[in-house]
Amino acid sequence: MLVMGEVRTGLLQNSGEIPESLCQSVLGLLSGERVRVSRRPIVYAVSPDQLTGVDCRLASASRARVRGVGTVLSRASVTGGRLLQGSSHIRVVRSESDHRLSWSHYLARAGVVEVFGKVRVPDLAEGFAENGARDDCLDLGSVSERFMDAVQASPFLDRKAPFRSARTRLRWVAECGGPGSTGTGNTSAGTGAGAASGSAASGGAEIPGTGVLSPEGPAIRFTLGRDQVRTLRLVLPGGFTPGVVDFCEDLALHDWLLTTLLVIVERARVGTATRGEVTAKLAPAVDHLLHLWMPAARLDEGFAPFWETLERRPGFSRQWQSLVERVRDQIAINTLALLREAGGW
Amino acid sequence: MLVFAISDKGGTGRSVTGSNIVYRRALQGSDVCYLDFDFGSPTAGAIFSVSSAARGTAQGGMHRYLEGRLADPHRIDIWSESDREGLRTKPPGAGQMVLFPGDEGGGEFSTVSEEMLQRCVRLFARLEEEFDLCLVDLSAGRSFAAQMALAATARLPGVPFRWLVFHRWTRQHIIAADGLVRGQQGLLAVGVQHGHDEEALADHIRFVRTAVLEPDAAELEGLRETQKAWLNECDRELRELAGRHRVGRTSMLGKIPLDPVLQWREQLISDEDVLSSQIANAETVAAFDDLAKKIVDDSAWEAL
Repeated sequence: MLVMGEVRTGLLQNSGEIPESLCQSVLGLLSGERVRVSRRPIVYAVSPDQLTGVDCRLASASRARVRGVGTVLSRASVTGGRLLQGSSHIRVVRSESDHRLSWSHYLARAGVVEVFGKVRVPDLAEGFAENGARDDCLDLGSVSERFMDAVQASPFLDRKAPFRSARTRLRWVAECGGPGSTGTGNTSAGTGAGAASGSAASGGAEIPGTGVLSPEGPAIRFTLGRDQVRTLRLVLPGGFTPGVVDFCEDLALHDWLLTTLLVIVERARVGTATRGEVTAKLAPAVDHLLHLWMPAARLDEGFAPFWETLERRPGFSRQWQSLVERVRDQIAINTLALLREAGGW
Repeated sequence: MLVFAISDKGGTGRSVTGSNIVYRRALQGSDVCYLDFDFGSPTAGAIFSVSSAARGTAQGGMHRYLEGRLADPHRIDIWSESDREGLRTKPPGAGQMVLFPGDEGGGEFSTVSEEMLQRCVRLFARLEEEFDLCLVDLSAGRSFAAQMALAATARLPGVPFRWLVFHRWTRQHIIAADGLVRGQQGLLAVGVQHGHDEEALADHIRFVRTAVLEPDAAELEGLRETQKAWLNECDRELRELAGRHRVGRTSMLGKIPLDPVLQWREQLISDEDVLSSQIANAETVAAFDDLAKKIVDDSAWEAL
């Protein structure tokens, strides 16, 4: 089964972090349902799942005209009262019909998009990962972004963010194994892995896959692109679980933290600007970012190996740690200089 | 912060001055972007020396975004995509500088629909997250784009905004600039229709004089005494006229001297143009630098 999604990550537009109670109000705007909150090891609040009905082209590397009908599953989340994410994904299956069915059919399959005709998994995976929304193709990033915009426009936020930052875009594609996925033809499926919404049953038929990364074991490939775009390719022989989405969101969050801290440190012009200027530029990072680093905090055990792979190369935590130490050392040096000036030692 | 650049008449140097303010602000370390809302004539690409967008972009610009035909308008990173070599190296400590071009063959809007306004609000809110300063270049005169800007800012109470009205230092321009702000269907009147408070809005509007030739300028050295006396008299009359039309010193944010480089080729004036090739005047750069600072300096915007 092919699953693809896009996570957009940005700073919540508020002067400080927001308390848990406010997370409820801010995310509750999206629907009447309850906002789920987990408190350990970091406050994490997530909106109820949102469905967006779609009937449009899907991007394909060969530019083949692939039509998909179904629903996009989205949610918005706030981590540490400070970071906002919009996340959308779809599970792609082959339609067993040759025409569009009634919407009740698709609504019963939350997050499933059924495609008509012959399609190849690598073609769709490549098309989405490389180009995202081309021309009039399904644009999962925009769907995510709209939910983010709705949260950012909340009257509970003061819009006085402590610093400017760009939203990042993590586009991910997972080829999931499981019953029926190793066949080469139209094996009927119904893997019923179940989306986060609880309504399950993929209903359509599996599309034959040819695992571009590694047909046997789990595999991961993370790529940094231009314009804040990152792509993530996954192979999950074990089949789809909602944990995949959690993992991608977690990775997107930490990638945003690292990206943003790198910009803050670069702009501080350590060694060129005066100590006072450097400290002033670094201060927002200390106030708002450094305590948020908690990779794999809420993930299924099964995804731990993926994080371990990323920690080895490119080494997320290693780079983060070195930056954090640099920020703290700069501030310590400035404090010492100020003390010396004041004649305090 | 959103800054709207507007003028009543064409040829005031609104775009070239706006672009140079953005450039100076980026050099001063802010993240800046320039939105080309001059839909009928989207030529900001030429000022930033991006030839692929010299007459607007073919890849989906502001016009198509507002029409709802694409979700992500084309963005051009000037520091990496400008054709001018001197611009392609981002100086250390400089901020981002991004151009959102108009569309090739876009054309002015003939109406502003609710959907279009919502898209505009969403765009401004998103850019405010990322940039310290977003300069929106509106076309000359009263336009739907200006109306949309007024309506959008009324819906974004948390986002600070300011208006710059550009005019040349002539009788016609002074009268026209006053009319654009306070006349019938002027900025204040339309702003009030969209929910702005007239007095508060007026406090967010300042004038910028362009192509100003000071009577004591070095360029006028060779003039006869009678000519100088006449020029002085004209300047005095203009100052009086400006005062009567509330376009005088107190409501002026800055003035840009007449500079041949801006007259003959609208472009960004780099320090190199002043120091090494010496084609531009140091006073011009100083005026841009000053404006770029004043635009974000609250003390220059205290209530009149």
